[in-house]
Amino acid sequence: MTGASRPAAPRPVELPRILGDIHPRPRWTETRLLLVVAVALVVGSISLGAGLTGRLAPYEPTLLVIYLVTLAGAHVANVLAGRRSDEVLLPVVGLLGGISLLLMQRLPQDLVTIDVAGSTLGLGAVQLIWLVLAIIVATTLGIVVRSDSWLRQYKYTWAAAGIALLLLTFVFGTDVAGQRLSLRIGPFAGQPSELLKVILVVFLAGYLSENRSLLIEQDTRIGPIRLPPLPYLAPMVAMWAIALLIVVVQRDLGAALLFFAVFLALVYAATGRISLVVIGAILFFAGSALMANIFPHVRDRIDIWLDPFADPLGSGYQVVQSLLAFARGGLIGVGLGEGLPTVGGRPPIPEVHTDFPLAALGEELGLVGVIAILGLFFVVIERGLRIGAAAADDFRAILATGLALVVGVQAFIIAAGNLKVLPLTGVTLPFVSYGGSSLLVNAIVVGLLLALSDRGVEPPPPPSGVRRWRDRLRPRRAR
Amino acid sequence: MDAPLLMVWVVRLLFLALLYFFLARVVRSLLTDLRAAARQPGASLGRLIVVDSPSGDPEAGRSFDLDAITTLGRDVNNAIVVEDPFASAEHAVLTYRGRGWYVEDLGSTNGTFVNGRAIASVAPLGFGDEVSIGQVRLRLERARSA
Repeated sequence: MTGASRPAAPRPVELPRILGDIHPRPRWTETRLLLVVAVALVVGSISLGAGLTGRLAPYEPTLLVIYLVTLAGAHVANVLAGRRSDEVLLPVVGLLGGISLLLMQRLPQDLVTIDVAGSTLGLGAVQLIWLVLAIIVATTLGIVVRSDSWLRQYKYTWAAAGIALLLLTFVFGTDVAGQRLSLRIGPFAGQPSELLKVILVVFLAGYLSENRSLLIEQDTRIGPIRLPPLPYLAPMVAMWAIALLIVVVQRDLGAALLFFAVFLALVYAATGRISLVVIGAILFFAGSALMANIFPHVRDRIDIWLDPFADPLGSGYQVVQSLLAFARGGLIGVGLGEGLPTVGGRPPIPEVHTDFPLAALGEELGLVGVIAILGLFFVVIERGLRIGAAAADDFRAILATGLALVVGVQAFIIAAGNLKVLPLTGVTLPFVSYGGSSLLVNAIVVGLLLALSDRGVEPPPPPSGVRRWRDRLRPRRAR
Repeated sequence: MDAPLLMVWVVRLLFLALLYFFLARVVRSLLTDLRAAARQPGASLGRLIVVDSPSGDPEAGRSFDLDAITTLGRDVNNAIVVEDPFASAEHAVLTYRGRGWYVEDLGSTNGTFVNGRAIASVAPLGFGDEVSIGQVRLRLERARSA
């Protein structure tokens, strides 16, 4: 048979070029865990319905259905992408987001309203929109990001962008409740300090991985203390100054605490030298003590922390109400939708949807529920540390560690603030608090972790700053 | 206690139970993952990847699992034999001490380079750094775990 008469081979279906070759890969762990999440959230919604309407039926099921469909879509996208990325993070974050959705549905809907096309969306619906966007962002980053050179090579650019963002907030930021936190650009308002924490981790990962060996070397001795070469301490001192500056200008104790804690944790992770951490912590506490004496707003926060009952109806009101909420919850809680008695039509804790979601959940789900939620955050941290431990080089290891810690430490800071373990600070509970910038930035963190967890990513580029051939002498033939 | 109230409490407790069921499933999969990592043979301290090797021995792309003391050079008694005309017989040694890797030049003719810089005697080596011996470039990476 000649070539001319041969029937044409069936042409494979051409997929759009942008998708590239699709090699679906089943992710059964993720599937199973997501099924458990779906069942748990439906049961939670029924429990909420029983609390709010008295009938054993899901409360406003449309929102929950949209959320679950989004999660399922994210899962399908992950399967189709076929990357060997982490299978636990999406279900864990999905459960936290689902609990957030139930909580926001349950709180008074007029805490946040947005008018869209003639209809008014309440707190639950707005939070749903942000949650869906967050899941899309995390999944897209987890699928698309295959190289980290855009983070690795431009670390000083990122640092400059972060400082610019900080300065913009200093100058143009609007004050909310005495804290200069939010920045408004046109119709968009956001909290730059949320984004700043990711930029900080990227910069530190770049800086520490490059100078790790120099920081381990113990060159300078001051009495009994052995320090790394002094020039390499400059960024650390700068970091300390920035943290204190945030306290002074932005009055944002939470961000300062978060940045500095993550910074110290990463220095320790990179060098293994506890002395640096001790020095940093001493500096921070000294600075804080100074601040508390100079600035009244810092002093107030600490006074409230030490004794909120000194002024239970005034400055200590939030913390006292939060503690009472935890107390009402007891061991297993009063049930979703049953807690939070309203005072004049408002929930008793001001800013419950952003700063005190854990107190609301503590009342309705009790100690048992709060421990489960904290357990979910521990899983996020464990995954991040594990991804870091398995990473091929220092940059990725420190980056993954830092990304996980920034979420975990933030959750710890606000949970401790709600429980009066630490002074109350205005950071959000990741994935649970209401708020677009918080959800989207934490979604970026999860997306990057997903991307980093794939061992199929391209190999790390050669170390930067290599002047390999110029520095090298003309080789002589060895004997 | 009447039946509807009982049902409400059953649903509430079921929700909490499901949260813990989910956590238990997650922890189980995490433990599987950790055990698999611990079982991984050759859980070595790191590996050296050959980035560039003009003479072809060792060939580029090859990966060596490292022991705590790994010698490199042209002599066949080295742990990693670098068959390169510009490498000395006993060229350099990689050692893992406590917290990290160090590379030591063993008095080679053409020296040992870390990221393109000649080292005096001993230099610390981070994961991702490149060591040059003769014309052969090798990159230190973490051990591949599960």
